[in-house]
Amino acid sequence: MAQAESAGRSWRKPRAPREPRSGGLRRLAALLANYQSGGLLIALLVMGAIFTSMSKNFLTHRNLTVILLQVSIVGLVAIPQAMLVLSGYVDLSVGSVAVLAVAMFGQMARVDHHSLALSIAIALAVGAGWGLMNGVLISYLEFSPIIVTLGGFAGARGVAETITHDVTQFGFGDKFAYLGNGTILSVPVPAVIFLGFFVVGAYIWYEMPLGRHMMSIGADKIAARSRGVSTKLIPCVLYVFSGIAAAAGGLILTSELDGASPSIGIGLELQVLTAVLLGGVAFAGGRGSLWGVLFGILFIGVLNNGLILLNIGPYVVNLAVGAVLVAAAGADAFYQRLERIPVAAAEPVAAEPEAST
Amino acid sequence: MNEQPVVLAVEGITKRFGAVTALNDVSLELRAGEVLGLIGDNGAGKSTMVGVMSGALRPDEGTVSVDGVERSFANPAEARAVGIETVFQNLALVPTLNIAENVFLRREQYGPGMLGKTFHRMHKSAMRREVREGFERFGVTLPPVRTKVSALSGGQRQAVAITRAVLWGSHIVIMDEPAAALGVKQTELVLSLVERLKAHGVAIVFISHNMQHVLRVADRIAVFRLGRKVADIDVHDQTTGAHLVGLMTGAA
Ligand SMILES: Nc1ncnc2c1ncn2[C@@H]1O[C@H](COP(=O)(O)OP(=O)(O)OP(=O)(O)O)[C@@H](O)[C@H]1O
Ligand SMILES: [Mg+2]
Repeated sequence: MAQAESAGRSWRKPRAPREPRSGGLRRLAALLANYQSGGLLIALLVMGAIFTSMSKNFLTHRNLTVILLQVSIVGLVAIPQAMLVLSGYVDLSVGSVAVLAVAMFGQMARVDHHSLALSIAIALAVGAGWGLMNGVLISYLEFSPIIVTLGGFAGARGVAETITHDVTQFGFGDKFAYLGNGTILSVPVPAVIFLGFFVVGAYIWYEMPLGRHMMSIGADKIAARSRGVSTKLIPCVLYVFSGIAAAAGGLILTSELDGASPSIGIGLELQVLTAVLLGGVAFAGGRGSLWGVLFGILFIGVLNNGLILLNIGPYVVNLAVGAVLVAAAGADAFYQRLERIPVAAAEPVAAEPEAST
Repeated sequence: MNEQPVVLAVEGITKRFGAVTALNDVSLELRAGEVLGLIGDNGAGKSTMVGVMSGALRPDEGTVSVDGVERSFANPAEARAVGIETVFQNLALVPTLNIAENVFLRREQYGPGMLGKTFHRMHKSAMRREVREGFERFGVTLPPVRTKVSALSGGQRQAVAITRAVLWGSHIVIMDEPAAALGVKQTELVLSLVERLKAHGVAIVFISHNMQHVLRVADRIAVFRLGRKVADIDVHDQTTGAHLVGLMTGAA
């Protein structure tokens, strides 16, 4: 079952043919695969309980709101990213696309004095345009996703720098400040946007055919294509949405800070990818749950928040996130290995004079 | 003799690959509820014939008719649209999707109400039910329809792929080496499925190098040698593997 399409994605290890597994291990593997997100949820709740017992400031309405606010931007960008990874692709350019969109916005709104609405629209269009470029190069022309978006990682920030000359624009006014600082029914606007996108994303992932189609592209592109799945259009559209989400995330952050800072979005791609992989989406594609991604996002947010409440330095946070990610990779490798264990009592293979065709 | 209507007729097919004539003026007929075995040595042209019948290859000469209508297929999807489906070695099943999801891949049904109609919400339970009923109808025993295909054996995957073809209305199913590299039990699963499909009126082209398999399921056998059809015989009690091998190699 050598996969011909792996040529264009040589960074991924080729999938070994899957053999049926024996009873006990097979059940364990299925359990792991189906409940990886459940396990993460339990870990999240346990961690929440620990922080609650250690700090009276943790489980308060105010603090939970803060956590939600802090994860909204990463969460927003993680939704299309999760879909891309599920489909066997990746977008490393999101942080740089965010800063490019913000640079464009700052230039339009403050230097050229265009209206807020037009400036926002252009910023989002810049994100969409960069995403479309990624999509066309990667999906249609079959360039390597890692290389193209790594190029975007450097390139988009470079373009942003030539626009801003490293100058931070600020003073966008109260209307724009609402985007990052306002509340709706006492929920911060960024969190409302994030949760809204999550609901739409989960609906696509679980309730619409598109979710299965993405999974089929990530698992076996040739099989998917032979059944008529749009193996080029779907990833291309996902790249466009990834670009739009990155631009939107950059705008929200600009509103929160009231500054179109050139340092926006640094490290965003890694935070987003960490949440996606922590949530159990297989880096090779084909497997994953958006609920798991939500739990992954919240896990990182709660960990950050709790450790800060307990006055534990940020380097511990990084260390903890790294450790958890490696643990998730270990669980995934364990699962993959179980998948490859052949049936204990192998059936004799029928005598075939020729294995041909 | 089978008095059913002819569902697939290929006439005077010639197919060349450069200097190689893979098929030379070959004609075949297939009736509803009939299993036609295609046998021949390596390179005899069997897979080329499958390609022509399933729309993957265009013949240089000759015609393909389905249900009495002459067709020229640009691709396998067009052949599928008129009811011919080929189950290839590479089964076109997605390992991380479950059985029901695979059967309905790209043919998902939408749920009732506004969500289904306007927002394309799938009707998952209805699809699962339909798959379960379909397997029952053809007497296929498989693990629950929510089992991931990666957990299925080779024979079970064959059964899923073949049943999927029939569930989607294909009345002509072509199988190129469906039982190659399968265990004894798995092979039995596939062969008995072929027999049951036949009873349901499905016409089947069955290619195998295993004479026992061919003799068991085929009503008629076409023997290919060096791109030509050298024999087209009804299978009866006296047909032996030795005789067929003689025809294949030209010794008979
Ligand atoms: N795409 C192709 N290009 C060139 N030659 C081809 C091609 N496909 C088949 N042939 C040639 O056509 C002839 C018939 O091949 P075909 O695959 O139909 O044989 P077969 O009966 O299926 O053999 P096997 O039992 O080995 O599967 C062979 O000589 C083969 O080399
Ligand atoms: Mg062949």
